[in-house]
Amino acid sequence: MRVKARPNRVVLTLGGLAVAAIGLLDGVRIQPNRIVSGTAYGLPETLGLGPTLLVVLPLLVMVALAARPTRGREAVMLLLATVMLTVMPWALSGFIGRFIDASAGAARAALSAGSWLVGFALILMVVDLRQRLQAGAAVTAAILAVTLGSLVAALTGGALDTLALVQEYIVRRAAFADAIINHLALVGIAVGTSLIVAVALALWMRRVAAVRQGVLGVLSFIQTIPSLALFGLLLAPLAWLASRFPLLSELGIQGIGWAPALLALVGYSLLPMTRNTFIALDGVEPAVIEAARGMGLAPLQVFFRVRLPLALPLLIEGIRITTVQAIGLAAVAALIGAGGLGTFIFQGLGQAAMNLVVLGALPIVLMAMAVDALLKALADAARRGETLDRT
Amino acid sequence: MIELDNVSKSFGSEKAVDGISLDVPAGSLCVLVGTSGCGKSTTLRMINRLIEHSDGMIRIDGHPIRDFNEVTLRRRIGYAIQNTGLFPHWSVARNIGVVPRLLKWDKAQIRERVESLMALLGLAVEEFADKYPHQLSGGQAQRVGVARALAADPDILLMDEPFGALDPITRSGLQAELLRIQSRIRKTIVFVTHDMDEALRLADQIVVMQGGRIIQQGTPTQILAHPADGFVETLVGGRDRGLKRASLTAVGDMMEPIEQADDPPAISVARTDSMRLAVSLMLWHGVSRLSVRDDNGDTVGILPLRRLVDDVG
Repeated sequence: MRVKARPNRVVLTLGGLAVAAIGLLDGVRIQPNRIVSGTAYGLPETLGLGPTLLVVLPLLVMVALAARPTRGREAVMLLLATVMLTVMPWALSGFIGRFIDASAGAARAALSAGSWLVGFALILMVVDLRQRLQAGAAVTAAILAVTLGSLVAALTGGALDTLALVQEYIVRRAAFADAIINHLALVGIAVGTSLIVAVALALWMRRVAAVRQGVLGVLSFIQTIPSLALFGLLLAPLAWLASRFPLLSELGIQGIGWAPALLALVGYSLLPMTRNTFIALDGVEPAVIEAARGMGLAPLQVFFRVRLPLALPLLIEGIRITTVQAIGLAAVAALIGAGGLGTFIFQGLGQAAMNLVVLGALPIVLMAMAVDALLKALADAARRGETLDRT
Repeated sequence: MIELDNVSKSFGSEKAVDGISLDVPAGSLCVLVGTSGCGKSTTLRMINRLIEHSDGMIRIDGHPIRDFNEVTLRRRIGYAIQNTGLFPHWSVARNIGVVPRLLKWDKAQIRERVESLMALLGLAVEEFADKYPHQLSGGQAQRVGVARALAADPDILLMDEPFGALDPITRSGLQAELLRIQSRIRKTIVFVTHDMDEALRLADQIVVMQGGRIIQQGTPTQILAHPADGFVETLVGGRDRGLKRASLTAVGDMMEPIEQADDPPAISVARTDSMRLAVSLMLWHGVSRLSVRDDNGDTVGILPLRRLVDDVG
């Protein structure tokens, strides 16, 4: 097997980081109830040096292999990281079990920096190794199935019920589902609306050069207003409209709630969406458009068969950037009663219950990452042109 | 045939094309030549109404072009441009078939047409049909561009510096190809270039433009022999033009019949080669006589140096 010239620095760094995190940082924090911060425990002080070394051993093996990686060694590393990731929920469950009896009342365990770091390091290692090995869709699916399956089994089977995060979830099961749906709806409607408006604006900007600077100027200005201030600014006019026209308030349009949240989200989404759409449509090589006209494509045919397909990859990039931004911004909308996952974040902040904050923040991060990956893949597919080359 | 009658084009107060009149007979290849900004591209694009002319009259087969719907008109006129303008998101076959598809030919017919055009332009169907433009070399892409322009079998072909971005060897190969194809299909071609050598090689009729006006038109030999002014003389190469004219004359037209007793010289040219090549060979090998061969490699004549001096001028 060919020895690669360069060590795999990603795995070296992440592996070292994970080892250090286990050795030096706390793994879990045991809280007697929801608010009291409790005591934190690390692995070495709890288990002693021997068992800790046993846990660290696979990481040390990976670091050693990463120094002189071959394809075979990378496959071994990928396997080790995947196995560790799969085992991790159960290991945590066991570790917490040393301190808390599952049937006992309010006591719970919060994950500390060490656990988070090890988890992230393992995930990043899997991502990096998978990419280096150019693993196919089947391998990726298998890794996802095993690791996520293990996590879901641990969560639904009750193995992690003493985890503070899970406790916060259990008492809010229905509200959590609502919040996710609400969040997705806010983002979806805001991005959809801004896409339609952005396409209209971009077409107008292409037609009338004088409009170009004006539109982008106004949109940039909206972008600079802090989100809380924008919600505040929308409060008065919308409340006035609602009191003036009862029909509107019957529809749910008020100074607070989803109406100002949606308006603000659309406002923030317009700049990245419009700029990308404009650049995408405008950036199509003039010679190609000229050729299309010269061949005898009618204006609408030039647009739909040539300009739009060629602009599509960049246009999807714009949707991706806007959506990721809107997923984050929608969290703030909870402040004016628009619902969504931000509700948990602000409740948690108000109650100094950090695990409730995490319950709101974690799905937002995952949602953003999922949308990012999905739209990136879509843009790549459009770039290859294969999806478009059908009559 | 194409007629331009006192045609002008103004952009604002600026006249890009200023009262030009021009006839391109059916089946002939007319080259518009001049420096950049002389109005040659504008003139070309007025013919398929990518640019609308401001004044005068343009007729195709006697009908004013404004009588046609512009989209219909363009589908009847082949169009090839510099850097090809191939659709990057379509395969080669689909690019070539674009106009037939717009004209709603049936699928089998389009396929057949695309394959025969690819064969005509020396593109192997199995190798190239499913490739995308970014996978082609410059020369291959330009062949696809020409095939696409010919796809719906238009009577008229407009070519706007189609070989301008190619290296000299590829360009020369494609010029030869165009002449070969033209001798078979006899389209009415208007060809724009800034390269006088290209014009001299391809044209039945050369139109020299400067500042939006035509300053001279005629056959390549006429332009070479009697340049209208200093500008045209510079374009045709000044004192270099003896060689340019030699490049327009075929060896076969100048050779002497071979005599029985003659021992044919070792260095040879083909009868279809230019006199310019013959001169070059004489200079390079230091000989004053060449033997002339036909396509089968048989010696059919002798070309002595004195024939050049006595008869070329």
